[in-house]
Amino acid sequence: MEQQIYLFGLSHKTAAIEIREKFALNGFEPLSHGLMEDQGPVQEALVLSTCNRVEILCVSSEVKEAVQDKALTAWAEFCGQDRDTLEKHVYFYSGLEAVKHLFSVAASLDSMVLGEPQILGQLKDAYRKAVQEKTAGVIINRLLHKSFSAAKRIRTETAVSSSAVSISYAAVELAKKIFGELSDQKAMLIGAGEMAELAALHLLNSGLKDIMVANRTPARAQELAQRFNGQAMCMEKMLENLPQADIVISSTGASGIIISAAQVREILKKRKHRPIFFIDIAVPRDIDARVNMLDNVYLYDIDDLKEVVEENLAGRREEAARAAEIVDIEVEKFSDWLRALDLSPTIVDLLNRGEILARRELRKSLRSLGPDVSADTTRVVEQMALSLVRKLYHEPIVFLKRRAREEGSAQKFIDLARRIFNLDDEQVPPDAHQNRKRNNP
Amino acid sequence: MLSFRILDFFIAVLYLSGALSFLLGLIYSSKKTQDKSVLLTIIGFGLHSLDLILKYALGIGEILTQSQFYISLLAWSFLLIYFFLWWRLKLKFLSITAAPLALLIFSGSLAISPTTLPVPGFLQGLWFGLHIGTLFITMALLAMGFGAGLAYLHLDRKIKFKAKLSNVSRDLPSLHTFDRANHLAVIIGFPLYTVGVLSGFIWAAFTWKTIFTWDPKEVATVFIWFIFAWLFHRRVSGAWKGKKPAKMVILLFILSLASFIGINFFIETHHSLRP
Repeated sequence: MEQQIYLFGLSHKTAAIEIREKFALNGFEPLSHGLMEDQGPVQEALVLSTCNRVEILCVSSEVKEAVQDKALTAWAEFCGQDRDTLEKHVYFYSGLEAVKHLFSVAASLDSMVLGEPQILGQLKDAYRKAVQEKTAGVIINRLLHKSFSAAKRIRTETAVSSSAVSISYAAVELAKKIFGELSDQKAMLIGAGEMAELAALHLLNSGLKDIMVANRTPARAQELAQRFNGQAMCMEKMLENLPQADIVISSTGASGIIISAAQVREILKKRKHRPIFFIDIAVPRDIDARVNMLDNVYLYDIDDLKEVVEENLAGRREEAARAAEIVDIEVEKFSDWLRALDLSPTIVDLLNRGEILARRELRKSLRSLGPDVSADTTRVVEQMALSLVRKLYHEPIVFLKRRAREEGSAQKFIDLARRIFNLDDEQVPPDAHQNRKRNNP
Repeated sequence: MLSFRILDFFIAVLYLSGALSFLLGLIYSSKKTQDKSVLLTIIGFGLHSLDLILKYALGIGEILTQSQFYISLLAWSFLLIYFFLWWRLKLKFLSITAAPLALLIFSGSLAISPTTLPVPGFLQGLWFGLHIGTLFITMALLAMGFGAGLAYLHLDRKIKFKAKLSNVSRDLPSLHTFDRANHLAVIIGFPLYTVGVLSGFIWAAFTWKTIFTWDPKEVATVFIWFIFAWLFHRRVSGAWKGKKPAKMVILLFILSLASFIGINFFIETHHSLRP
């Protein structure tokens, strides 16, 4: 039976975090943990294990049941868990469905946060490991390379990975729209909730250097200020220091408004009307909504930010539909290659290619012989060109046929022949050589 | 003369393609196209400088008495200021006003027939040079401030009212950058404008032996000067930032453009550039 691609997995879509934790495959090696063995059903394997998904990709010439049995047993045993539990949550794809799934994963179309970029790096790590452990063969090599290039194509041709999709990051993007570079800006945290902390971290990562922390409990203010290398103060000093702050992130548990529009008007005068960006993530709100009406003051509350994020996510989902089309095209291309790994299409391709070349050269030669060539000469030259090509390709074809009769190694040579004679008309990227070096240390 | 006609035509084509390709680059958010547009504009500007220098050096038809020369010089000053802002503020974005305005004014200079101006004798003097140079540069600064002001108001509105930041806005520089462009236009523009107006009066004192003649151009200029002075004061004292100065510069630019086109071409005045 010809080789088939199988994929088994658990992801955030099918299994809760507790299950994914139990069945994590960090450190799993197909060769030493019983997935691949001599004469076993699995010929190639790759294991991907992240906090949101655990997947085993195999290539096998056996039927699904045999491979599934092997894979799930090895998986459950490695994790010291019950196989039935695993079976309840695991999903399964084979053939082109598996290819499509892998391409979608690589392009982050199957991620919890659509379009997040980490997954591609994790997949590359998994592939590097498979190459090092020599569990990746012709098909997995090709499949993974194609999934990386498909992901790259999707990232450049669609906007699926652009724009902020977390509240704290959206706040930073807005701050950049107002202030440009953040390196000269000063921020103040009022209250110290988790989200405020996250926003502060994002601000620091974007170049902001100066942070003040005002909090009801001085110890907590001190602790946070130390972490951000900033300045702590008690709540009573907050208003006094507010004119220094360009970005204010408020998240206190106060029951009413703590900064009024009149106060902000005073602050603006002290600041010589330099702009202020208020981010009010407290519920109930800390800052009077009317301050947004003042010139040079921008106020976003939690709902506004959620809306921005929602819009960005909606934009990403729209883009995901376009990305899915690209995945389909790439799967189609891969399937052509996979089909050509059989012997007969390769022979046909090889001979066709030869004939095309022969006829092209024939046209050139006839042209240089001039218009007065007799029909006989034309026929003789044509026969010579065509038979030369057939003779040239005869030995490689015989070689491939002989290998095809021996189990296992045919595909490797067919793939090689297709590449040597460039039967798939591939554009070789200029850095292909470096890539190969990196992947085969 | 024909060779100058051809050169002028080339310059106009370069400015046109610069302006169009910047717009295209913005719409399709392609940095490459935008860079190309800047390159086209730079080449156009180089040729334009050459054109002006040659015309002046060859003294073709007593160049300083021709209205065409001044209008061409005005277009040139627009781009000079734009390149300056680009260099200081990295504000490539202002191509969106610079290139089309330069194109418009430059083609305007080609459209009017080369007529001789009734220019009084003291022409080559310091005062006249100061008068023309400073006022043209101020005009160009105001034009940049105008573009920056429109962009500021647009972006400010979008952020204030939590509108979806579309593609174009995402590529827009920050509010801060636009406000700095406005700041420069006012801080540099007002002193230059003042020098321009004063040198005009001094020149008039020499030429006509009187300072103020209630000429429509003079009245309009003094009116604009008062508004400009007020804006300058508010900006320097720190009382105004952002929206208000943006709106004021937009107003000032429209007024000076109206004064330039309306008065210099359509009203009887001793500033007339009418053919």
